[in-house]
Amino acid sequence: MLLTGERSLDSAPFDEISFDLCSHRRDVIIMSADLSKYTQIVRVKEELPDQHLDVGMAEQNLISVAAGISKAGFVPVATTFACYATRRAYDQMIICMGTSPRTNIVIGFMPGIANPARIHHQAAEDLGMVRAIPNATVIDPMDVTDFKQALDAAVDIPGLTYIRGHRGATPRILDPDRFHFELGKTYQLRQGSGVGIITTGLASQWGLESSDLLEQRGTSHSLLHVPTIKPVNEDEIAEFCFAHEQIVTIENHQIVTGLGSLVSEIVSSIGGGPRITRLGLPNSWAPGGTLGYIRGQLGLDADSLAKTIEGVLQ
Amino acid sequence: MSKNRENRVQFLELIAAKIRRNVLDICMQRGGYAGQGVALAEIAACLYFDELRPDENQWFYDRFVMSNGHDAIMSYGALAVHGSYSIEELRTYNADGTKIDQSPIEGQLGFEITAGSLGQGPSQAAGIAYGERLKASDKRIYCLFSDGEIQEGNVWEAAMFAGHQKLSNLVYIIDNNNLGATGSTQEILGVEPVPEKFEAFGFAARRINGNSVEEVLEAFEEAKQTSNKPYAMVCDTRLFEGISCLQSALPTAHYVAVDDADWQAGLDEINQRISDLTAQACN
Ligand SMILES: Cc1ncc(C[n+]2csc(CCOP(=O)(O)OP(=O)(O)O)c2C)c(N)n1
Ligand SMILES: [Mg+2]
Repeated sequence: MLLTGERSLDSAPFDEISFDLCSHRRDVIIMSADLSKYTQIVRVKEELPDQHLDVGMAEQNLISVAAGISKAGFVPVATTFACYATRRAYDQMIICMGTSPRTNIVIGFMPGIANPARIHHQAAEDLGMVRAIPNATVIDPMDVTDFKQALDAAVDIPGLTYIRGHRGATPRILDPDRFHFELGKTYQLRQGSGVGIITTGLASQWGLESSDLLEQRGTSHSLLHVPTIKPVNEDEIAEFCFAHEQIVTIENHQIVTGLGSLVSEIVSSIGGGPRITRLGLPNSWAPGGTLGYIRGQLGLDADSLAKTIEGVLQ
Repeated sequence: MSKNRENRVQFLELIAAKIRRNVLDICMQRGGYAGQGVALAEIAACLYFDELRPDENQWFYDRFVMSNGHDAIMSYGALAVHGSYSIEELRTYNADGTKIDQSPIEGQLGFEITAGSLGQGPSQAAGIAYGERLKASDKRIYCLFSDGEIQEGNVWEAAMFAGHQKLSNLVYIIDNNNLGATGSTQEILGVEPVPEKFEAFGFAARRINGNSVEEVLEAFEEAKQTSNKPYAMVCDTRLFEGISCLQSALPTAHYVAVDDADWQAGLDEINQRISDLTAQACN
């Protein structure tokens, strides 16, 4: 069992994660673009001030200065909201970081509908964007446990790594004693037959919620958490898919270019295989508001998801 | 001051007080950018009720571009006084399912661009100004943006373009409040000297007290007299200026959550101001 018995909530996950990392890796520099408070960077700023740098609200400069800092021998961790990290500074990400062998880490917080302000703050295409960069590493952690472990791993990965960050009350779902993040590895959280649910990031939480409902209703299913979007272990995904009649992917992202696309690409390159239903943000702008409201509007609340999943078996 | 001028200033000060009241009324429902809305009341009053020329449909002939998005609260407060929004609909600000976005999307009444991803207004306003000039229209283009936005490179690309093109139909209004999302812009990434920077990019520029109706009116006047150059009005402001109890309680609150503020004390203060100004106007 990879899941914790009792789920706890961490109210400021990145504060601790960044501080722990900086305490044992003195070459790491956590960078902000006037959002340190909003990404919950407090202790590093106060207690390890040499390991924090704020460039002001200038995301293109954030990414480019970070790349420069990596070229001086440090490991930059550039942080901002996902929308600015990717959309605003995409070319800088590709040119300054994507072509470099040096370790460059970018964390995009509040991705997809984890942000209440519609359109401009809701990066629902960031996974696809970074996934399209050759040799980039892309990670969408589901909770405090794999967020921390993914970042700890990323400081030793050459080139560009993009991680989706969690802020605010974030659950600990994966047991840190039993879950061990490995780049590319996939993690089966529920085992069954019939429908195979594949999720990543925040949507792995949604997947678990709907899995609980399915279990109560006696609908057999499996749930696979895929934190690494790139480079993923394709064999593990293929094996999971071909072991089920139907596959449903769920992601806090556009249903194009992200997890659903990744799974479809892997299965279609083999041929045959199950039908794949991709759930996530449709090809229209998501509404704004509280996460619960937005999920309800998009059919991504636990109940709607469970119904959709049952529906594909009919 | 001539009697006429004095009346005009008094009229705009009363409008500004009403804008402040609307801003509190809206933000006290579910939180919001109250400090900015309050501080920008004089600029909004002068802009919407004096500077922008009306068209035949009770709307505005000149064009206004709200760049940073969260200052939309200023426009909401003003457009409620104007009558183009009802205070009831504005009270849904920040509610699930609302049409009143905290940072509006292009096409919403009063908003020319999708704001919220900061720093993209100055270029679009320059583009609009360029296009209007190309059409030989005499429309004037006003763009409000903030000192935080000045940190974005995009703003300086816009300024270089506007200066190079000598867009004399373009006025940049800068909310220079020495505040970004996480603290003082001077401490995080200094933006000063702002007027001199814009001058170096080919603007006529002036630093004013953004809470003085007279100074705002004068700057707008100077902008119209300026030929061959765009104009930058660098408005020094302070969060919550005009409502002292909230200003001392929340001097650096980029965003105010519902339970952060003593809304009622603020409302009492501003309502008193409105009755004083109304009494003054009747005398
Ligand atoms: C491109 C972009 N980067 C970052 C943000 C997050 N953010 C929102 S407001 C803000 C600070 C902006 O400063 P300013 O507009 O001067 O704030 P104010 O004085 O109005 O509180 C930041 C960094 C954003 N909305 N857009
Ligand atoms: Mg400011």
